Amino acid sequence: MTTAADPAEAAGDPVEQAKDVIEYCYEQGWTDGLPVVPATSRGVGAFLATTPRGAEEIIGTAPHLGRSITVAQAAANAIMAGCKPDYFPLVLAAWEAVNLERSARGAWQSTSGPSPLIVVNGPVRSRLEINCEGGVFGPGFRANATIARAIGLIVRNGYGIRPHELEQATQGLPGRWSVCLGENEEASPWEPFSVAGGLEPGVDAVSAVLIRTCEYVDNRGTDDPVAVLTDFADTLARMGAYLGGGHSSGGLVLGPEHAQLFGRHGYGRADVQRWLFEHAVRDRADLAAAGKGDGPVGDPAQAGTPFPMMPSARDIPILVAGAGNAAISMVFRPFGWAPWSGRSVPVAWSRAPSGA
Amino acid sequence: MFDSIIDPTLGPAADAQRAPATLADRPDSLSGLRLGLLANTKRNAEQFLDQVGRVLTEQHGVRAVVARKKPDITNTAPEPILDDLRAGCDVVVVGVGDCGSCSASAVADGIILEQSGVPAVVVCTDAFTASADAMARVRGVPGYHYLTVPHPMANLTPGGVRDKAAAAVPEIVAMLTSGAMAAAS
Repeated sequence: MTTAADPAEAAGDPVEQAKDVIEYCYEQGWTDGLPVVPATSRGVGAFLATTPRGAEEIIGTAPHLGRSITVAQAAANAIMAGCKPDYFPLVLAAWEAVNLERSARGAWQSTSGPSPLIVVNGPVRSRLEINCEGGVFGPGFRANATIARAIGLIVRNGYGIRPHELEQATQGLPGRWSVCLGENEEASPWEPFSVAGGLEPGVDAVSAVLIRTCEYVDNRGTDDPVAVLTDFADTLARMGAYLGGGHSSGGLVLGPEHAQLFGRHGYGRADVQRWLFEHAVRDRADLAAAGKGDGPVGDPAQAGTPFPMMPSARDIPILVAGAGNAAISMVFRPFGWAPWSGRSVPVAWSRAPSGA
Repeated sequence: MFDSIIDPTLGPAADAQRAPATLADRPDSLSGLRLGLLANTKRNAEQFLDQVGRVLTEQHGVRAVVARKKPDITNTAPEPILDDLRAGCDVVVVGVGDCGSCSASAVADGIILEQSGVPAVVVCTDAFTASADAMARVRGVPGYHYLTVPHPMANLTPGGVRDKAAAAVPEIVAMLTSGAMAAAS
């Protein structure tokens, strides 16, 4: 090993060349701030081989920007994000799931700066080593990190929506373009999230919700389901998340301990949703005191009744992920006024994946 | 040197670069003209434009006002609304771009009207010039001149909206009539 900085020697060193490639990609404006893996036609070919979809098939359009996105272009961005070829059908399914969200249309340019929460169900979780357990919000797991990142690069490079230009997030959120988690189906007392999304159990599936943030609920001192629900309802009903005009929004990524507590006491997912809808309420006077008393909050016909902060029981998406080592869960905040699409997307393979 | 790297920004061949847009000729004055107001759904946008319309009618001889509201802050106005404005107006004021999506789409609406031969002024708050400029480049008019008003708009009282509209009127008149908005090269 030589340590001398001999320029001629360095120029022939493949490691130095790799660094130069990374710098080249930065200079083109193609990255999200982190290094990217360069995409080549050979690499794109390997990705395209995993999907039955055609290379030139259009998978997204932004008419106001005059831009469309092809499958091959998505593959290039997935390579850059660090995906393996076998992740690509999940990237395509995640992209489709994101675009089922009615709020996705204006999301990427919005001051709200939302990000997809991507959920994977089915046997593919173990085949591709998608983390469902400890530290599920990341980082540390290639599939989780790179599938989520690929979606962000597709938006940036495919639509040309870049920060401080067409992308106008006021603050964005921690973890933007980095949240992809496997549901911990094995630790859940209920049917998989993708079954709530309309698919059969055991199907490889991706679901997505655009979110504005996550906030934890730590409640490990009680075995009373109503006490835990009361804690969730308080966070769900927080006024700051309410934009005015309609209702607030919320969903839960339950840690296995909380989910199993509900299961032990006979609560189904729908029971939890119903309880939370009925109890995640605020006094209209509180909202008015915070400058949020217009619209439905100020409806004279409803004066004196509690204001429901959630749109409906079924519009509180609930899934289970994380480790079964503490009674911790996460409340997430769907973006906009439109509820989750309620539709999960089956993953389409051209061949059985070979594994990670 | 790195010719084998695929450019991830290249979409389908159909997404060709737009040709540079041409802007509309300006009238000498607004006297006797029909004014269009194209609002979005943002808070205070319609109130701002209505006030602009009132002042232009009372003080600058506008003879008719056609007000339309587009339903979507991200996309350009639907064709039926654009057709109404093309058919029924001599000049149009578009606004108010005070969010990430709607600032860009307001600029796009203004440029579409200009390309139809209708002079337009787009009003954005000064927090969104980067987004407005980016859309102007996308639409083939880099450097497109729009009107900025101080941010924010959404929290103004009715009186505050009236004052802001009144303050903007001289520049709106100048931009609709001066002929200074030649297409950028």
